[in-house]
Amino acid sequence: MRPYAERVERQLERGDRGSNTACPYYPCHFKGQNCTHCFCPFYPCGDTRLGSLVPSRDGTPVWSCKDCFWIHRHDVAKTVCRLLAGKDMHHATDEELAACKEEAECRHAVRARALMVLGTMSGAGKSLMAAALCRIFSDEGYLVSPFKAQNMSLNACVTPDGEEIARIQELQARAARREPDGSMNPILLKPKRDDVSQVVLYGRPYRDMDVPTYYGDFVPSTGRAIVSAAVSSLMRRNDIVIMEGAGSPAEINLGEGDIANMAPAEDAGAPCVLVATMERGGAFAYVLGTLELLPPHRRSMVRGIILNNMHGDASVLGSGIEELEERTGVPVLGVVPHLELSLPSEDSQSLQGTPGTGTCTVGVIRLPRIANFTDFDAFSLEEGVCVRYLDTPEGVADADIIIIPGTKHTLGDLAWLRERGLDAAIMARKGHVPIVGICGGYQMLGTLIRDTACVESDEPCIREGLGLIPVETAFDAYEKETRQVEGTLAVGEGGRVRGYMIHMGQTDRSRLPPLCFLHEGDTQVPEGVANEATGVYGTYMHGIFDVPPFRRYLLSRASRGAHRPQGDAVASVDERTDAELDRLAAAVREAVDMEALCAIMGVAYPHG
Amino acid sequence: MVKALMVAGATSDAGKTLLSAALCRHFSQKGYRVAPFKTLNISLNAYSTADGKEIGISQAFQAWAAGIEPAACMNPILIKPHAPGRCQYVVCGRPVDMPEHEGMREDLMERAAACYRKVAAMTDIVICEGSGSPAEPNLRDRDLANMRTARMAGAPVLLVGDIDAGGVFAGIYGTWALLAQEDRALVKGYIINRFRGDPSVLGPGIDELSRRMGCPCLGVVPYVPLRFPAEDSCSLRNTDVPSGGNDDMRAVWISNLDRFLEVVRASLDLGTIERILGEGIHGL
Repeated sequence: MRPYAERVERQLERGDRGSNTACPYYPCHFKGQNCTHCFCPFYPCGDTRLGSLVPSRDGTPVWSCKDCFWIHRHDVAKTVCRLLAGKDMHHATDEELAACKEEAECRHAVRARALMVLGTMSGAGKSLMAAALCRIFSDEGYLVSPFKAQNMSLNACVTPDGEEIARIQELQARAARREPDGSMNPILLKPKRDDVSQVVLYGRPYRDMDVPTYYGDFVPSTGRAIVSAAVSSLMRRNDIVIMEGAGSPAEINLGEGDIANMAPAEDAGAPCVLVATMERGGAFAYVLGTLELLPPHRRSMVRGIILNNMHGDASVLGSGIEELEERTGVPVLGVVPHLELSLPSEDSQSLQGTPGTGTCTVGVIRLPRIANFTDFDAFSLEEGVCVRYLDTPEGVADADIIIIPGTKHTLGDLAWLRERGLDAAIMARKGHVPIVGICGGYQMLGTLIRDTACVESDEPCIREGLGLIPVETAFDAYEKETRQVEGTLAVGEGGRVRGYMIHMGQTDRSRLPPLCFLHEGDTQVPEGVANEATGVYGTYMHGIFDVPPFRRYLLSRASRGAHRPQGDAVASVDERTDAELDRLAAAVREAVDMEALCAIMGVAYPHG
Repeated sequence: MVKALMVAGATSDAGKTLLSAALCRHFSQKGYRVAPFKTLNISLNAYSTADGKEIGISQAFQAWAAGIEPAACMNPILIKPHAPGRCQYVVCGRPVDMPEHEGMREDLMERAAACYRKVAAMTDIVICEGSGSPAEPNLRDRDLANMRTARMAGAPVLLVGDIDAGGVFAGIYGTWALLAQEDRALVKGYIINRFRGDPSVLGPGIDELSRRMGCPCLGVVPYVPLRFPAEDSCSLRNTDVPSGGNDDMRAVWISNLDRFLEVVRASLDLGTIERILGEGIHGL
């Protein structure tokens, strides 16, 4: 008689039940787990890749599968249900069940295959290469997850569970057709001042650290352990993990302090490909130098080279590629052409506004610590609209809509605004053009900002805001709100808006007319402030422009009035992003020798 | 005998132009007669000399830095891309109709060498600037602007790497490693540019790189957000510092250069660079 046969049969009859979040033990294996096989039909499988013998209370060994994630994958759960449907679990033999398990394993890897995408420098194109591979393998039917151990970025977004991860990992998750989660980017560094960053772990703010503390104390102990744990978790619940390195893996001054490149690749047993950009020249030198500076045991992990961002005809590289392959012994797997893509921007170096000469200029103040400037990508969906990043009073005077964006340091950037005379320039436009503050910009629009908890300054302080709307903001605790929200726009013709909040500090909106009402359960919670008479708006919602209502409303109020919304023909940002990811994936499939890459990874391609 | 120095970069936009300008100004202020020289420039930002010749704006800027009038011989070849795959060639300051032809490169190099001799005849020191990376193995036989020019001028070479995007050790080392043996011998030092933070953290990396290359790091130059004339769209980055009320951009560039030179004097080993100049190999 099999253990729990009765329970297992009932489970199989009920079929796929997804995540049982109501269960007091949820999540007993991992967040987002499938709970169909609460009692595993294969127990005790004796498969040491999935579980192990542990001493029970009376000392006799007992099979433990607390670390098995496999049966709790949604796709595995479904396959197992199908394979065992109608089976008499009371009399099933070990051999029969083992055969079933083996069949399921053929389809769904017990342990993922991983690939590490390294770059010769920041901006080599790792992130989009990883995104392309996520999409390609997802298209092939694999369960894929992106991973980046450590990211330094101010462009964060919030997962459905309220975890904060870098925007680029969210994009990669989208490419892999997965919900983003904190383990895809276990360490996020958000630079605050020159040498201080806020450290976010598994999507939750941990604390502020300076560079010596981070590399000296945190990285060797906690940091390294967090990365290993995240890798291990992803390897046990995916078919393929596409890992992205950070910066260059050959920073010989960092030594073992680098936990973002070779260390996670070693954890995962991942072969590596090295990506170099052709954009600035010197790509061959950077590839050779990177390989030469890696210690031999790590150099041998690099199994392929991808040359990226090629402008013009790749055939001119011929002799260079031959020489590089000969000198390094590593094959060049492809030369990927330069692509113009509309995808969320990654770092502030690409802050140049959208091309084109629109009749309506959306002027975004270029704060020194500008954050979440992907908020403004959506304006490029509107014909005749261009986004410009402004740092002069003249630029502000010329804009048809003024936006003060989010910032990692409200007080510091407010002082910068004043130093440059931008405060007066903005206030002079009140009543003439719409003025919008997002997050930190919203805080600046208010009358007062109090930092009693020294979140932003070394000593408690009170600063006057621009006073364009009568709200006050208090930083009275080291707390951060990160969540996704949706609601109804409270101005103009209304309409559904959605977005996410990532902020420290609380703003007292003192019953002013809100910009929107958030749907929280059955209640409607007012969010932000709208003064339709003066055209000043503030909100904590990032991504509020991604869907049309507020974007269109603002454009309809823009002074020159030349803008005409383009009706329903305009795609949503999500649709456009998916289409762009498909285009990127197709270009990489075309340019890169996928058979060779998959042979290196040990995965089947195409996937049967 | 004129002394020459070549500033070569691990990538475009590594900071060659500005460092060359700073060296021009430094040695000029020490009393030398200094001139800039760049064999070949690919740029749409051009300048007209007093005698109506066209050169890259960067060489004009470097000439002002050296306290002299820009002249066409300081930038013998200027290539101006105007459509995908199509360029205008400006040679010795004049546009020429230049369909690709057999021996074109040698013709161009001869004219460049003649220009160099003109520059050398009127100065004590020539600061030569390379173009792009000197280590493109697919271009090795065709590249005139880097090691070919260094050999022609007998100029020792300094390699500049931009650390801002990371990978600078790999970039500098790989550049050196891809050079032909005899060209490597011309490399007398390297410079790490655009560093943010405390340079002491770079110590172990610099030690290893100097040991591998057999030449010293001549300095770590901090990132300085100042406005200078941009050569190409790679350097289209906004800067943090306003123009200080001055409405003459050329004056702003030079006053910014003076501020940058202070930084260079504090961060580069200019004494060693001057000594390297003296060790120039006889060229021409």
